Amino acid sequence: MDFEYLKQKRILLVDDERELLDMVSSILKEDGFSNIKTAETVREAAAVSETFHPELAILDVMLPDGSGFELMERLKRSADYPVLFLTARGEDDDKFRGFGLGADDYMVKPFLPKELLFRVNAILRRCYKGENPLVILENSVIDFDRAEVIKNGEHIPLTAKEHDILAALYRNAGRIITIDALCSAAWGDNPFGYENSLMAHIRRIREKIEEIPSRPVSLITVKGLGYKLLLHTPGGK
Amino acid sequence: MKSVPKLIRRFIGIMLLSAVLIIGLNLILLAVYSLNQMPNRHPWQTAGEVADHLHWDGHEYVLSSETALELKTSGAWAVLIDNKTMQVIWQTDDLPQTVPVSYCASDIAGITRGYIDGYPTFTGESEKGLVVLGYPKDSFWKHMWPSWDYRLIASLPRTILTVLAMNTVLVFMIYFFANTRLFGSVKPIINGIQALSAGEAVHIKEKGLLSELAANINRTSEILQSKDKMLEKKETARANWIAGVSHDIRTPLSMVMGYACQLESDRRLPKDSCQKASVIVKQSERMRNLISDLNLASRLEYNMQPLHPEKQNVVAIVRQVAVDFINMDIEGSHPVVWETDEALTVCTANVDRDLIRRAVSNLIQNCISHNNACRIHVGVTAENGTCTITVADDGKGVSDEQLEKLNSSPHYMVCDENTAQQRHGLGLLIVRQITAAHNGNVSMGRSRYGGFEAALTLPADNI
Repeated sequence: MDFEYLKQKRILLVDDERELLDMVSSILKEDGFSNIKTAETVREAAAVSETFHPELAILDVMLPDGSGFELMERLKRSADYPVLFLTARGEDDDKFRGFGLGADDYMVKPFLPKELLFRVNAILRRCYKGENPLVILENSVIDFDRAEVIKNGEHIPLTAKEHDILAALYRNAGRIITIDALCSAAWGDNPFGYENSLMAHIRRIREKIEEIPSRPVSLITVKGLGYKLLLHTPGGK
Repeated sequence: MKSVPKLIRRFIGIMLLSAVLIIGLNLILLAVYSLNQMPNRHPWQTAGEVADHLHWDGHEYVLSSETALELKTSGAWAVLIDNKTMQVIWQTDDLPQTVPVSYCASDIAGITRGYIDGYPTFTGESEKGLVVLGYPKDSFWKHMWPSWDYRLIASLPRTILTVLAMNTVLVFMIYFFANTRLFGSVKPIINGIQALSAGEAVHIKEKGLLSELAANINRTSEILQSKDKMLEKKETARANWIAGVSHDIRTPLSMVMGYACQLESDRRLPKDSCQKASVIVKQSERMRNLISDLNLASRLEYNMQPLHPEKQNVVAIVRQVAVDFINMDIEGSHPVVWETDEALTVCTANVDRDLIRRAVSNLIQNCISHNNACRIHVGVTAENGTCTITVADDGKGVSDEQLEKLNSSPHYMVCDENTAQQRHGLGLLIVRQITAAHNGNVSMGRSRYGGFEAALTLPADNI
């Protein structure tokens, strides 16, 4: 998938355990991320961020000279960028506090590297999608900024709902996203009874992005569960 | 408390029954006693008989021998007073000397009503005159002035009934007020005992009839409260300890998992080293799940897990869990099959979404943990006001013995006996705890696909 531009993002890791910082750095580096800085304390993190200007911060909650929540507030005062908490504190109250303060995700240790990578990539894709406006599919290209699909040289406009649905599918590209999550993305919380409307929108999206809408290759139905958006992979399907 | 008025009603009933029985018994005793006294009425009859059996034989008056014998037996004497002369014209042999032989009209009236010289007298009428019988002194007591107002006698039945009724009402009132007072002092005691049984703190005023009992209840309440507090402290300490230990393990385990994952996919390493790393990853994941389960189970067990129930679509929750597992199952060793009627898109229930998600995840994870490869069938059905979530697999399944253990033996975390036999996973304990917290139930058995099946039924929230 064409997310290489995201690998250039500057990531700040903050944890009081040096070994953990090393490990998370190596996981991220193995996945292609190259701009990574680490800090073990709130003070050090604040100092690093002033010169490094991170585009994503991965923070622990319990730090020797303060809490990760305080650090996030401090960091976000200078620049608004996504924050992911990676902590051993798994209580609901901590999660609610983190999300309440504006965290983009909250992961409880221990974690699988692939889960961390998925979440980091998802956050970056969500927050920096404007930098890569063209999403290349098998038979068409989506331009989220212009809210249109380009198919066979033709520019086909997307409605607001189609845009929301496609954006949700794109954030989870390659993975199934449930009918309910799509309804929620398009119609907000508690979207009971929108399944038929969703099907109608999916049909219209297929007419815009697929070569043969009755035999879709990009927007796949997973019966009873939801849909999956497959991006174009050069050299294979 | 319903039993107290019932108790009072029973007491009053017993009291009224006792009163009726006592009155009845008295009437019976009176009747029996009166019947026993019946022979005492015979002096008047005897006097009549003497008058009848007294004959003039031409020379003198003669009494029949039977009547004479009867008089002798009872120690009585008799005289016949002539109607005209008012003189005694016949007498028995044993007539006391103090008895006069000549009478006037006022004497006759006195004889009829009372006594002659202390001898109780009874009269009988004959053709010639008046027969007077005299019995030994102190053998009879006679009412000298036996007369009553007629209206009194005429209204006697009504008067008796009225008096009886008044007595009954009086006794009833005395009993009722006495019981009401007793109830007044018993009521706080009863309320106290009820509060004790509900686990509430109790303080009753220690005064009145039952002050000693009130003091004992107050003391019992204090003991129970202090024990509850100690137990609560102990449980909180235990849950905190588990939370603390799991917190401290998380960071080191992250490093074990992270590096093992990297080694597992490191192509520079020999294959068997990668396999060893893969085992470490799998075992680390087990440890991670165990820590997480242990923490949640202890919080649920000691009521430290806040429940946030909201109206949720159970189908959407289960679908999301199924999709999460499908998205995670990269190797495809545990495919999840969605088996829910397409028409069923919404089944609302008042539930804590995260906890239900956790319960379903645990059931699916359970299928994965116990089978190297299997197909997992996940579905939701709605019927009779319930939402039922079913997770079934076509894996190796469970034996009857295992099923029996699973359904009957508690987990070691909630068992106060020997822990050697209670070794089934925490995952299922959590499923039970979460379901119980939502007033639902869990059933476990064999699936129609040949493996294990768990069904989680929750009360639906009908719109």
